[in-house]
Amino acid sequence: MIRMQDVSLAYEPGRDVLHRLALDIPQGAFRFLTGPSGAGKTSLLKLIFLAHKASAGRIELMGQDIDSLSRKQLALMRRQIGVVFQDFRLIEHLSVYDNVTLPLRIAGHKADGWHANAVELLDWVGLGERLHALPETLSGGEKQRAAIARAVITRPRIIIADEPTGNVDPEMGERLVRLLVELNKMGTTILIATHDRHLWENFDFPRLHLEAGQLTQMEGGL
Amino acid sequence: MSQTALHTPPPKPTLLPPENLAGPALSAVTMVMSFLACLALGCALLADRAAERWLARATSAMSVQIVETRLLSAEEQLPAVMRELRATPGIGAINVLERGDLIALLEPWLGTGNISEDMPLPLLIEITPTGDQKLPTRVLAAQLKAVAPGARLDTHGRWRETLESTAFALNLFAGLVLAMVTLATATVILFATRAGLQANEEILNVLHQIGAQDGYISRRFEGHFVRIVCLAASLGLLAAVAFFYALGGLVAEARDPSFLMTLLPLPLAAIILSWQVTRRYVLRRLRAQL
Repeated sequence: MIRMQDVSLAYEPGRDVLHRLALDIPQGAFRFLTGPSGAGKTSLLKLIFLAHKASAGRIELMGQDIDSLSRKQLALMRRQIGVVFQDFRLIEHLSVYDNVTLPLRIAGHKADGWHANAVELLDWVGLGERLHALPETLSGGEKQRAAIARAVITRPRIIIADEPTGNVDPEMGERLVRLLVELNKMGTTILIATHDRHLWENFDFPRLHLEAGQLTQMEGGL
Repeated sequence: MSQTALHTPPPKPTLLPPENLAGPALSAVTMVMSFLACLALGCALLADRAAERWLARATSAMSVQIVETRLLSAEEQLPAVMRELRATPGIGAINVLERGDLIALLEPWLGTGNISEDMPLPLLIEITPTGDQKLPTRVLAAQLKAVAPGARLDTHGRWRETLESTAFALNLFAGLVLAMVTLATATVILFATRAGLQANEEILNVLHQIGAQDGYISRRFEGHFVRIVCLAASLGLLAAVAFFYALGGLVAEARDPSFLMTLLPLPLAAIILSWQVTRRYVLRRLRAQL
């Protein structure tokens, strides 16, 4: 599902943030990505959710070499990847409903076809009463749930979450991860970058540890 | 939103907030530019049409003047001149002015009653070219001189040349003004687009990340700027039409609907310009990303 071979990333020549990484996450897997601050977790995620291009190496997503894809195909592939950003990235002048349903509008689906499902999803994440609220009026947890709802509304094949619990209390963080676990049970591949030890200790999933530009795989739990 | 309102989907939201897109400034500048462009084109057209009319009159008003020489009087040279003129292709009408007509022409300069009966006056022959072929004026002047040494063909050439060069200079000036206005308008739209992109960078990144194609994002900007330019350029056109209508008190042609219609392509050109400038800039910017 997500495969990397000899992947390096440098923002400046000669200073690799990621150095000759190898990674293989099969379809339907659930992985945590851990590592100290500045280890390159966000950079690695950006390569996977197609926000950056690797300086070297080969990246395969859903069986396709991303270097061989046209811009149009890359855009279509992004629709298969739901991303939950650490800073939520909700559009401030749009309501919760409009933010969450934006990927469906962009994909060109008619609102009559998805409206009821969208309302149901927002109810499921606990935002059923906040549909018309603007992001600035939401709490951190509500924003995070809206961001997750937006990431999952198109039923993507991969969900990438960058520190999804960084701005919420531990209880809310755990609830959000349980939500992602539910999606994983339905076959979605999940990759969560976190430095929250409680998360990987409480959820028994393998952990990828990134340090000094290198990845090592560790088993789940303690 | 009340729960009852959720039975139907709400209308499509505006993805780019208008307040982030330099609307009022762009509107004002585009309106002024459109007005100036219409003014430059309209004035050039009016001047061109006036010059054409003057040139047509100048071309149709050639004359032959015959003065007496030491050997021949003007009247003695007249038959030879008339023969030569009648034999020349391209001449439609030949009219020998009467002495009374000549006196009427000269009186404004010499004063009424100052031209005595015995005062020698040249003969003046008006020539009207047919207009279907170019009159060989140089050859005709030489031939007239050969048959009548006192005959001189006056084609008003110097006046026509001055008129032609004035009309050319006016057209060149109008062309330059149009080019400058176009350049300035394109630059303003480019800056507005760039500012709009910067102000909405976060939104663009989100749209890009959730799978929006370049064309989809670009169309959001194109729609916004084309709407602004369409309205502002039309207002500029209306202001120019009002100006020319007021000018119609002095130049009747300025109120001619066919003349006013010639200004219509300018706002259309401004709309196409804004659409293309915005599209190319946004797409180039997006293509710098993965």
